Amino acid sequence: MFDIKAAGAAVASAILIACSMGQAAHAADKVYRIGAPLPLTGGLSPEGLRMKSGYDLWAEKQNAAGGIKAGNDSYKVEIIYSDYQSNTPRAVQSAELMITENKVDALFAPFGSGATKAVSAVSEKYGVPMIAAQAASAQVYDQGFKYLFGMYTPNDTVVKPLVDLVLKSDPSIKRVAVLSRNDLFPLAIAEEFLKYAKAKGFEIVSDQKYPIGTVDFSSALTQIRASKPDWIYTTGYTNDNILIRKQMQEQGVKTRLIAMLIGPTTPEFIANTGKLAENVVTASWWDVAAKFKGDDVFGSAEGFEKAFRAQNDNRYPDYSVASAAACGVVLALAVNKAGTVEKPKVRDQIAALDAHTFYGHIKFGPTGQIESLKPPTMQIQNGQPTVVDPVEIKQADIRFEPK
Amino acid sequence: MIFFQYLVNGLILGGLYACIATGFSLVWGVLSIINILHGSFIVLGAYIGIFSYTMLGIHPFVSVITAGIVLGALGYVVQLGIINRVVAQSVLVTLILTFGLELMMNNAMLVAFTADYRKVILEKSLGVLEIGNVFIAMDRAVATVIAFVLIFLLWLLMRLTSIGRAIVAVRFDREAASLMGIDVKKTYAITFALGGAMAGAAGSLMSVSFPISPLSGPLFLSKAFVICILGGVGSVPGAALGGLIFGMLESFGAVFFGAEYALTLAFIVLIILLLVRPHGLLGVKGF
Repeated sequence: MFDIKAAGAAVASAILIACSMGQAAHAADKVYRIGAPLPLTGGLSPEGLRMKSGYDLWAEKQNAAGGIKAGNDSYKVEIIYSDYQSNTPRAVQSAELMITENKVDALFAPFGSGATKAVSAVSEKYGVPMIAAQAASAQVYDQGFKYLFGMYTPNDTVVKPLVDLVLKSDPSIKRVAVLSRNDLFPLAIAEEFLKYAKAKGFEIVSDQKYPIGTVDFSSALTQIRASKPDWIYTTGYTNDNILIRKQMQEQGVKTRLIAMLIGPTTPEFIANTGKLAENVVTASWWDVAAKFKGDDVFGSAEGFEKAFRAQNDNRYPDYSVASAAACGVVLALAVNKAGTVEKPKVRDQIAALDAHTFYGHIKFGPTGQIESLKPPTMQIQNGQPTVVDPVEIKQADIRFEPK
Repeated sequence: MIFFQYLVNGLILGGLYACIATGFSLVWGVLSIINILHGSFIVLGAYIGIFSYTMLGIHPFVSVITAGIVLGALGYVVQLGIINRVVAQSVLVTLILTFGLELMMNNAMLVAFTADYRKVILEKSLGVLEIGNVFIAMDRAVATVIAFVLIFLLWLLMRLTSIGRAIVAVRFDREAASLMGIDVKKTYAITFALGGAMAGAAGSLMSVSFPISPLSGPLFLSKAFVICILGGVGSVPGAALGGLIFGMLESFGAVFFGAEYALTLAFIVLIILLLVRPHGLLGVKGF
């Protein structure tokens, strides 16, 4: 009895293996591999998981549409993930392994300017095109690298519109307090903000930095409270800003306007801060309200929103997931134009790209950083991320807390 | 007036820090073990606080008891079953053992709870008390009071109970204690259990104020380490005083040097103290 069963199982598995080998052989010679080191665990995991949801959505859509076309061939997209546990040196190791062991055709950069800059040295060394979904600081792109491209416009483009908007909307706002995370991107944003706000006549009444991993902001917030600001501007990542917003209340900090970069439009921020999220403003790089139309697998910003909501419990797609998905779109368009998956040719096509997509008009500048977008300013109003600038796409006026 | 706000912030923070460090200091002083697991115990205690509240509606201040018992039991088992096998060896061996256990425990927590930060969001918060121009977040303030009560209870236990005296005796002289009829292995396990219980209780108290992820352990551990040396290794009042000083250093350090240098300042003070008073402020040979 045992023998019969065993023989039956052997035959069945042989048939299965034969079938799968046939399929594998068919797909294997036409797979486009992309490596994506992500912070799937650790302090940056909310950001990492959001990026992954964007990549996955794009890969699924692209494969459903027949994969990436290059000349007469179609390539199935395969994204290879590795969790670098929010630990930058590990991201660099992962990327190198992906290039040398997994033989990836391209890379999606890790989260943030710091990690992207670190990994870009590796992608450049091996000549692998790398697209960064979440790195905005100019310091990442001024290294003279050829294979690095970024989907966010430079930091000043998200800083200036908000300053101009506040100046225009309520001239009585004069005193500004700044609290920034001592980390590449958050610090660069804060410096950009300080420079521009000073130039526009705002008075900086407090300027403080907090170390990475801070969980208690009471001293910094006490100092801010004492400086009686009309406007508080904080920089950091989602978890930092959730904590800061809550502790502001605990410390009795009151002000007319709170701006936080980045995170307020994410579901985590709104769920964790509840009513405290109300009227927090932030700058972002994309919003569905811009209603961009394009020739990619999503077709339009609304198309992207619909697909994302369907796959993610009806969650609002913020700019970070859109940017991640747009990395895939860029790669598909470039391979398509190159007619081959050869890395240098794909790289040249990315550099020369001038396309309209669900993410907006995509054109990279000489440093590899996108320069064709106009980032919107958002405010949480009635629990929803609402566009307050630019005028062409705004959904409501900016609100201030009463004096 | 703002001075008082910094003072209050420092006191509140210091109480929690003291609670974090007491158990660590006890284990180090008595067993000569630098227990790297301590941070993970705090984190697990915090998770007990969080899940008791979200799933059963039990307030984290009440969960201090369950977290203390659970982590105390875990500490007892870990010490008796694993660490006791190498306890007589050099500090480095036990350090590496607890380091390995910490890695295992952190990864187990990563699998079980994911890396997302969690925090207790109280439905009925005690709110903010405003006295003059000083704001006191009452949930934090109550947590600090509980922390000091726990430290006081531990101190009483060390001074008044036979178990406490046995621990002190073992710390003084292991061989002599053994000759006096004290079961040294059991005393070690009880000490480790007390350390674990304090960590668990501290974790549950922290869950009200600070977000926790499975990898938060090293953050707490590093603070416990500094506090322990500041106050004096093995001394319960020392850990309490060290915690308060550390809280004040962070609070006032941020005023004078900026928030980013608060921790640097604490470490500078630590180095100076190591040079001029290496056994810590209250580092005496008894309790």
